[in-house]
Amino acid sequence: MSRLRVENVSLSFGGLQVLSDVSMEAGPGEIVGIIGPNGAGKTTLLNAICGIHAPDRGRIVLDGTPVGGLKPSAIAALGLRRTFQTSQLFRGMTVLENMMAGMHLGTHSGLFAAAFRTSAMRREEARTIEQAHAALRYVGMEQFANHPGSALSFGQQRIIEIARTLIDEPRIILLDEPAVGLSPPRVDELTELLRRIRIEKGVTLIMIEHVIRLVMDVCDRVVVLSSGGVIASGLPDDVRRNREVIEAYLGSEFDAGRAQSQRLV
Amino acid sequence: MLLTYALATGLTSGALYALIAVGLVMVYKSTGIINMAHGELFMISGFIAYAVHVQLGLPYVSAFIAAVVCGFGLGMLIYRGALKPLMRSSLANVLVAAVAISFILKGLARAIWGGQGDYIPFPPILSPMPIMLGPVMVIPQQIIAVGVSVALMLALALFFKATRIGKWMQATADNVKAARLVGIRVEQVYVLSFGIGGAIAAVASVIMAPITLLYPDIGFNLFLKAFAAAVLGGLNSILGAVLGGVIVGLIEQLAATYLHSKFQEVSSFIVIMFALIFMPNGLLGQRNIRKV
Amino acid sequence: MSRLLGCRSLLGALFICLLFLPFGANPYWLFVGNLILIYIVLALGLNILIGFAGHLAFANAAMFGIGAYAVGLLQVRLSFPYWLALPSGGLIAMLLGTTMAFPALRLSGIYLAMATLGFAQFTQWVFLNWETVTYGAGGFRVPAVDFSPLALPPKIGIYYLSWLIAVSLVAFAWNAMSSRIGRAFVAMRDGEIAAESLGVTLLHYKALAFAMSGVYAGIAGGLFAGLLDYVAPETFDLFQMITHKAMVMVGGIGSITGSVIGATLLVLLLEALRAFKSTQEIAFGTILLVFVVFCPGGLVSICRRYLPHWQEPLHVAQHAAILPDTDSGDVSDSPPPPARAEL
Repeated sequence: MSRLRVENVSLSFGGLQVLSDVSMEAGPGEIVGIIGPNGAGKTTLLNAICGIHAPDRGRIVLDGTPVGGLKPSAIAALGLRRTFQTSQLFRGMTVLENMMAGMHLGTHSGLFAAAFRTSAMRREEARTIEQAHAALRYVGMEQFANHPGSALSFGQQRIIEIARTLIDEPRIILLDEPAVGLSPPRVDELTELLRRIRIEKGVTLIMIEHVIRLVMDVCDRVVVLSSGGVIASGLPDDVRRNREVIEAYLGSEFDAGRAQSQRLV
Repeated sequence: MLLTYALATGLTSGALYALIAVGLVMVYKSTGIINMAHGELFMISGFIAYAVHVQLGLPYVSAFIAAVVCGFGLGMLIYRGALKPLMRSSLANVLVAAVAISFILKGLARAIWGGQGDYIPFPPILSPMPIMLGPVMVIPQQIIAVGVSVALMLALALFFKATRIGKWMQATADNVKAARLVGIRVEQVYVLSFGIGGAIAAVASVIMAPITLLYPDIGFNLFLKAFAAAVLGGLNSILGAVLGGVIVGLIEQLAATYLHSKFQEVSSFIVIMFALIFMPNGLLGQRNIRKV
Repeated sequence: MSRLLGCRSLLGALFICLLFLPFGANPYWLFVGNLILIYIVLALGLNILIGFAGHLAFANAAMFGIGAYAVGLLQVRLSFPYWLALPSGGLIAMLLGTTMAFPALRLSGIYLAMATLGFAQFTQWVFLNWETVTYGAGGFRVPAVDFSPLALPPKIGIYYLSWLIAVSLVAFAWNAMSSRIGRAFVAMRDGEIAAESLGVTLLHYKALAFAMSGVYAGIAGGLFAGLLDYVAPETFDLFQMITHKAMVMVGGIGSITGSVIGATLLVLLLEALRAFKSTQEIAFGTILLVFVVFCPGGLVSICRRYLPHWQEPLHVAQHAAILPDTDSGDVSDSPPPPARAEL
């Protein structure tokens, strides 16, 4: 259960200001949604948090430790995991091996221990396999354990990626559009899964999503980004009625009242 | 005096490298493939010109035309025959295929025209007597070489700016998906890129053959130097390739003149490593932002 | 019966054949067999770097050469005995190979390939031109390896030494690639950013991959020097480079058995082509081209398709398309997502 604080983070790429003075917070065990129109900087924010880009200004603090500018592997070692918009299952491995790869930080055998198959290494391997199976069982995908990663449907791959983040008892997970490409019944399954994760695993979740239904059902709080800045943040219901948010999505000429009556927002 | 001589020679070889590099970059921009057999296109076209002009005794112009046709055709053939089916496969496969092609071409040249270490003399267009250009002594062929190179590059620039096909090629190089959506026949663009690249190499071989002398192994050496030029200029900039070619040519000559002749060969390798490690985008290339 | 046709049994059968080869083989076949063992080690190291870790590097021939030159020069100039020179040569090749991990952090794909190609050409230039140290173009003679404490003639001695080293290094690689190290490599190959976000420290693992391939190539080079009793620069040129690559590709990227098969077949092929003298280049190029075009996954991909019990540590690499826009052909239950993430 981690607390993450993003304080006044700004980031630009070659002259293009992608994030301006963004601040947000996710408390221990909370599920925070990040929404906003295309190009708002949502994925960049996640990239900054997990270490892919270093912020130009501002701080990112994970459980009291400043992590801005650290390498992704270092931040992962602090208990942070993330999923990506495009499937990042390793194609050269089976589903089970993908899960075992997720245990990388939880295991320590070096090259020589592996090459000589020491008993410590074999014990670790057995434990890794067990935990990989357990994680697959948790998301109901154990039957695919020996399938190559690429043989599954896109939706299944996304679920397995989430399972891969869970395998090593993470403290905080960043999800980048977990519902993209999922049909409505699968979105319901995902909603269930996220709820279970929050209750049973006690993990803090930060989630970018476009599927508003999912955000409203699952998130404790919502942050709205537009053009690199935070334009609203708070409880889901408050945010959805916020005038600026509606304008950001639909344009200022659009009548907010009409939008609500037509259940667009 | 030594300096001006070095500069003149460097400029001439620089023009050669620039031409080869331009072909290389053009193909890379369009298709994303570095054609490691590109140097062999130069070599074979040169040998064809030799066969037509010297062995068959036909006029120079027909040798020139034969070489260009050969370069164009061979370039297209390499793409359609070998590289196209591998484009969806891994990079390693494409590179190995290209080198395999280069081996075949080298072997053919050796079998038909001469063994290892045989240098084929190619007669120059004008008399080989050197003339004085200001303080520098040059061979007329050098002037022709540089002149033709410049003309060719201007023609190429015009081609890209003014013709429809040129614009298609630019569009494909920029964004393949969008080009397809707009209706550009991307496949034709690929084939054409390879063909034009080969044709440019052929022109280079005909004008440079009297100066550099032809031998079957020249292809790979040229490829490395052209690649050094291309990387220095930025792999996705044709103008950069020209600039890079001239710089590499000059560096080579200066190193050979002021350090030792054996440093001539290694300059291009050092340029490759230096440019890739310290300035991977080259002088004129564009930055690639890593997107997730 | 089909159970026996697994890759492990194939490896076992091959190595047993090679074990008994000296009994009844003439010196030529002994030489060829020894070459096979040496190239098995070399191809294996290269496959670890290209196939498992996914770094396309051309520097293998350079590492091979550095190993051979180091071992030879240590013996000739510093009077090292062979049993000391061999591991030292491997170590030197390893250290030099590891330095390439740093550019590998910033370069990828074709850029890395060409940077390492530049390095390989540079190395060969050094072999040719640094005459005061490397004896230049003519190369130099190395004293025959002394196996007299074991009462073995040098040729037999070096053969069994190569055999022992090859078997050990194959086992080493097999175990290493079946572990979290192997998984970290493949993760790095198939999704560098995702691998990093799972905690794989890129510098560490890239360095490890380069180090392993360096030490394998270096030791192969040292054995090569011991086999030929001679070290010369033309044995480490472009042709060699492509031959090494071919061994890896023909066998199958990312497959240990593939490297062994590839090395064996290519050595035999090159020996067979020797008869063709003038057309050796054309024949080699054609065979290679046809193979790469029609069987890009290597021989192992065929084995995997038809032999159900072919179990390898981690699968043979799925090919990554060169152009980012080619469709992946996945089966999806909904339209595929946008190819690039939004900023």
